[in-house]
Amino acid sequence: MPMKIAKLTFALLTILFLVAPLIAILPLAFTSSVILTYPIPSWSLRWFEELFFADAWRRAIINSLIIGTGTTLLATVLGTAASLGLRNRLFFFRGSMRTLFLLPMVVPAVVLGVGMQVLLARFGLINSYAGVIIAHTVVAIPFVVVSVTGALAGIDERVELAAQSLGAAPVTVFRRVTLPLAMPGVLSGAVLAFATSLDEVVLTLFVAGPNQRTLARQMFSSIRENISPAIAAAAFLFIAATILIGLVVVLSRSMLERRTRPAAS
Amino acid sequence: MAEFIKFDRITKFYGPLCVVENLDLSIAKGEFVSLLGPSGSGKTTLLMMLAGFEQATSGKILLDGAAINDVPTHKRDMGVVFQSYALFPHMTVGENIAFPLQMRGIDKAETAARVKQALDMVQLSTLADRRPSQLSGGQQQRVALARALVFEPRVVLMDEPLGALDKQLREQMQLDIRELHRRLGLTIVFVTHDQSEALTMSDRVAVFNKGKIEQIGTPRQVYDEPATRFVAEFIGETNLVEGVVEAIEGREATVRLPNGAQIVSAVSDGVAAGQGVYLSIRPERIDLAEARGAARNVLETEVTDSVYQGDHLRVQLQNEAYPLIAKLGRRSREFAPGTKVFAAFSAGDCRVIAP
Amino acid sequence: MSGSSSRMGRSLLLLAPLFLFLMGFFVWPLFSMMSQAVSDPAVLRLLPRTAEIMGDWDRESPPSMPMQTALMEDLKAVDDDQALGDMVRRLNSARSGFRTLMSKTTSALGDAASPPPDLVSIDKRWEKPEFWIAIADALSPLTDRNLLAAVDLGRNSAGAIEHLPADQSVNRVILVRTFWIAALVTFFCACIGFPYAIIAASLTGWKRDLMLAAVLLPLWTSLLVRTAAWFILLQEQGLINDFLRAIGLIDAPLALIFNRTGVIIAMTHVLLPFMVLPIYSVLITIPKNLMPAAASLGAPPIRAFLRVLLPLSLRGVASGGLLVFISAIGYYITPALIGGPGDQMISSIIAFYATGSANWGMAGALGMVLLVATLLLYSVYARLSSDEPGRR
Repeated sequence: MPMKIAKLTFALLTILFLVAPLIAILPLAFTSSVILTYPIPSWSLRWFEELFFADAWRRAIINSLIIGTGTTLLATVLGTAASLGLRNRLFFFRGSMRTLFLLPMVVPAVVLGVGMQVLLARFGLINSYAGVIIAHTVVAIPFVVVSVTGALAGIDERVELAAQSLGAAPVTVFRRVTLPLAMPGVLSGAVLAFATSLDEVVLTLFVAGPNQRTLARQMFSSIRENISPAIAAAAFLFIAATILIGLVVVLSRSMLERRTRPAAS
Repeated sequence: MAEFIKFDRITKFYGPLCVVENLDLSIAKGEFVSLLGPSGSGKTTLLMMLAGFEQATSGKILLDGAAINDVPTHKRDMGVVFQSYALFPHMTVGENIAFPLQMRGIDKAETAARVKQALDMVQLSTLADRRPSQLSGGQQQRVALARALVFEPRVVLMDEPLGALDKQLREQMQLDIRELHRRLGLTIVFVTHDQSEALTMSDRVAVFNKGKIEQIGTPRQVYDEPATRFVAEFIGETNLVEGVVEAIEGREATVRLPNGAQIVSAVSDGVAAGQGVYLSIRPERIDLAEARGAARNVLETEVTDSVYQGDHLRVQLQNEAYPLIAKLGRRSREFAPGTKVFAAFSAGDCRVIAP
Repeated sequence: MSGSSSRMGRSLLLLAPLFLFLMGFFVWPLFSMMSQAVSDPAVLRLLPRTAEIMGDWDRESPPSMPMQTALMEDLKAVDDDQALGDMVRRLNSARSGFRTLMSKTTSALGDAASPPPDLVSIDKRWEKPEFWIAIADALSPLTDRNLLAAVDLGRNSAGAIEHLPADQSVNRVILVRTFWIAALVTFFCACIGFPYAIIAASLTGWKRDLMLAAVLLPLWTSLLVRTAAWFILLQEQGLINDFLRAIGLIDAPLALIFNRTGVIIAMTHVLLPFMVLPIYSVLITIPKNLMPAAASLGAPPIRAFLRVLLPLSLRGVASGGLLVFISAIGYYITPALIGGPGDQMISSIIAFYATGSANWGMAGALGMVLLVATLLLYSVYARLSSDEPGRR
């Protein structure tokens, strides 16, 4: 019994450690004070106003949406195509290809940032939307590849063979069978790509100019230079978006499971 | 009979769900008792409580006269053979078998000797350095057995240990375990849902249903003298026919069937004249003939189908009131569907069961 | 087999765009960063005419007249004393005596009244090919100087590798600090994450889901949000200090932010999921009946844990530990926002060299050190996580 209590206490304390910081920041989004501390003198929406109407924050939000959308499209298209290519088991460099596609997740962001800055400057892409989108796409690719290859691996190949035997040409098999089955994976890959772009700071620091300041970048300098409850308001939006994204991912996963599970069970 | 293990009014709840209800069971030293029943009948839970993996909600478990409810598993000294063997994947066969000896602080030389002896016993001496993943299912099973026996536990518990083996191997292992039981004088509690396994191996069989023991007895008793409808149906195949008791004389009862036929059947205590009952007639005890013979019980029926099954002939019968199945020896003649036949059996081959 | 070859073609076609994209925008940047580290065009920039002429030189024959003229013109054109000093130092470290030779030469060249006709007339040493070889080597755009400096080494005047003087030895301190912080964070993550994963794996139903959700929620939350959250909690007027004061444990606020404590706490929080998830995923593959089996064979709980659960889950702990450590050594945002000046890790220094002082050579060299360390550890991790369990 004392063992049980110790376990329970430990688990609860750790959950508190993991979750409490995220919860602690939320109420401060609604403070009327100009400083980011408790207690909250009175409730107000002024920091959301600041977020949506102050020039720096508004531009940052718009930039994040532009860059996030660009990254999502580019990463999803490239990653999905490559994942389909990786299905071919006969392909000689399959393993090393896959490693290459996952490596951007491993390489420290600052290292990549330095290289990216040198290279994009050479191409004249520094301080441009295209440059930031390219940089974000590089780090978003692994999430798309993992997600889509996972979905493709879950497809029972006999289903595709069955479609062929029923008279479907390869293109039709892909369009009518493979793609619909892989769709949840593509979708969650796209969501993760968007989330990655939204949260990216380090590469943005290196390749973006003042005109491409993203929301994350703006939060970074705001924490560093003049921290205000606008951060908490931004955090509130982020956490709300996270929960939304989490729901989408979970839903698409269960959709995937339902689709790829054999009919019998 | 000396009580070596005694379950005294054991009840176990999982939340609101009662899985074992007010259960009494005594097991003698050196006895092989099978706990037989469908899944969810409480037999495994009882074994888990005996091993100390589960706590009884109420009631006492006694081992050799001492309550062991509060003794932790590792001090109970019971060898458990698990359903999926539970061999330690990171240890070799030899290390697996040495494990319980090391836990008891036995010195290296003796450990080595006893591991070797245990491996010899299950004929795996050459595989001591293999890992469990490199063994076949049957070999893993024997390692699990050796591991559970090597420390000479007071009781050996087996939880469907043969379930994962194919039929031939399973039958071989049944005989091997029986042989070990006899040779080493082990007390074994064996959980299974396979009735033929229970009948093959046990001294006594306890038939479980819904958290209770329906009947406990020797294999012969539970098969030939089922106490309840559940036991009659769960063990072997049987024909169940409804009827009303007309009269009871000693160990025999006269039962009237719905179509008016009268059957004389063996009966136990607790059945009274006028009571509605079931008659259980084992299919292999029925003889078929085209002429009414001299048997005490004869039913007029018609053959609807007849299937040759190698070791026996399975004949489906029907009359105006009830279907019957008969299993005939392979020397019997064939009956074409539609043939009118007389099904005959003695009073001792059928049994009255209170509903 | 036209079917399989057309399939192969299709696969290639599908893989090509991403492959080219990553080659161009991932591999190439890393290489150009590394080439920054080993390239040093400073001398080349100072002596462009000399470089052009010396391309044809055979490194043996005495210096030709055009070579001497070109070098004289280059030296006369130099207007950056700092760069000249750097060059002389570099030449002197390759060939001792260059310092006096150069100062003699430049002062002679600066004498506008009687310009010397050639270099040999200034000093006989200019006849010797050794000095020209030193120039030729310095003109080569490759150098190991930055790489050596990244680990606080340099070449002395004889060209041997030696430690830099203490006042220049900052990088090693930062490297050691980086690995130390990463090790501490890994340790704390293991201390919290291992038992947490064990408890989570032993549960079922909503309790397990809750424990996993508590790990996944922070993982999915923006890193900046989490850092901002720790900012709120740790600051002087923050919740932790308020709470500790309210229960009377402390009188004056503890310094929790802009120091090592804050960095360790925040990084442990951020990286804990990377420890819990790999351990958890190993634990749930361990058959549930092994621990009961060990107990039935006479093992008390602690011994059963040491002999059965620990060895079987070690692979997960190692994977998680590596993952946390790899991520930690490359961390930038959390130390930059929560740490003080004494807690900056290698990434911060790289960022400083790159954006602050535009010293691409040093940024590249330190980046290379970090990259190599990361990739080495990752290859260990990849091998660990692809190995099948239960095999030696």
